[in-house]
Amino acid sequence: MSENVTAEQIASTIGLEAIPENVRSLTSLVSRQDAPMQDIAKLICANKELTSRLLRAANPRAASEDDYTVTSVDAALMRAGVGCALLLAMSDPLIRAVKRTFETMIGVDLRDCAPGVLVPLEKEHVIGEVAFAGKATGCVNLRLSPASAGGIASNVLGFPAEDPADISDVIGELGNMVVGNFKSNLCDAGLTCKLSPPKISRTQEFRLRAVGGGLAERTGFRGSDIEIFVDILVNPWND
Amino acid sequence: MKILSVDDSKTIRMIIGRSLKSYDCTLCEASNGEEGLAVAASEKPDLIILDITMPVMDGVTMLTKLRENAELQAIPVVMLTAESSRENIAQIARLGVRDYLVKPFKDDQLIEKIGRIIPLGMKAAA
Repeated sequence: MSENVTAEQIASTIGLEAIPENVRSLTSLVSRQDAPMQDIAKLICANKELTSRLLRAANPRAASEDDYTVTSVDAALMRAGVGCALLLAMSDPLIRAVKRTFETMIGVDLRDCAPGVLVPLEKEHVIGEVAFAGKATGCVNLRLSPASAGGIASNVLGFPAEDPADISDVIGELGNMVVGNFKSNLCDAGLTCKLSPPKISRTQEFRLRAVGGGLAERTGFRGSDIEIFVDILVNPWND
Repeated sequence: MKILSVDDSKTIRMIIGRSLKSYDCTLCEASNGEEGLAVAASEKPDLIILDITMPVMDGVTMLTKLRENAELQAIPVVMLTAESSRENIAQIARLGVRDYLVKPFKDDQLIEKIGRIIPLGMKAAA
């Protein structure tokens, strides 16, 4: 078996985009569970983007920054607890995984945006859900219109996808790729977890529900004629 | 050349089929590790492309059983999976694989990996 590759050879050729050092540090810190809150706050305060996203997560009902009732990192962490930092640490690798998956598989350059910018999904739409469990427990939902789902499936398969089963399989597999990459980054940073197979459904419900005692965040993505809502729901410290 | 694709996703099996359609090879398919072992035993493929997360029997279990089988243990395996944590990679490498491709992937990346292991000639023009 001397021709087989070693773990080091595989790791060096996979070419996965590394998550930023500040996000990796935050993930490693949060994964300890007993990390002092002031250390977490200090790390977040040192980064403008992390601070902005934490405040957005701590003010889930606010339509804009003017509506924020929680306006400081300390207050956000006090109010939402360490779970909020956990959610923050997870969002960055998730956003990267979504962009990478759609760029590679269908050549679409998706941009993340505030979910309010996208056309609301008021009628029946497609949901791809992949759950993860371990040191970090929760799920990721990809929500998109039937037209977007059909367009993506046709692009991936190389022919017009009309069979709902084909469309479901494509969306499920893309969800699996997104969450698989995301989960690998979490595992490497200390938040070990395992994935469940993707579940695909169609629903008219459009409500971001948090896992019991957990937190949720929604991000919008748009590119070409595709719009996708991606929800992450986290239940911190399940074990 | 005969290639076995083991993946629970019909989408991935179709993409692999599309990637290989111009090449002079036969593609066999299985949707989980248990089926994969049965097809490997009956078809004796020259290469196996194997996913990890699958129902019934996952790819790690199939790879383990493949390596324990005297008739099948020498078949080269390329892992094709969204799982890329260092822990997973180390576990897979210990079981012996010829290469590892992370989903999402492009068709030409897969062809390049396969072509390094077995000769892939183009189909003769009809």
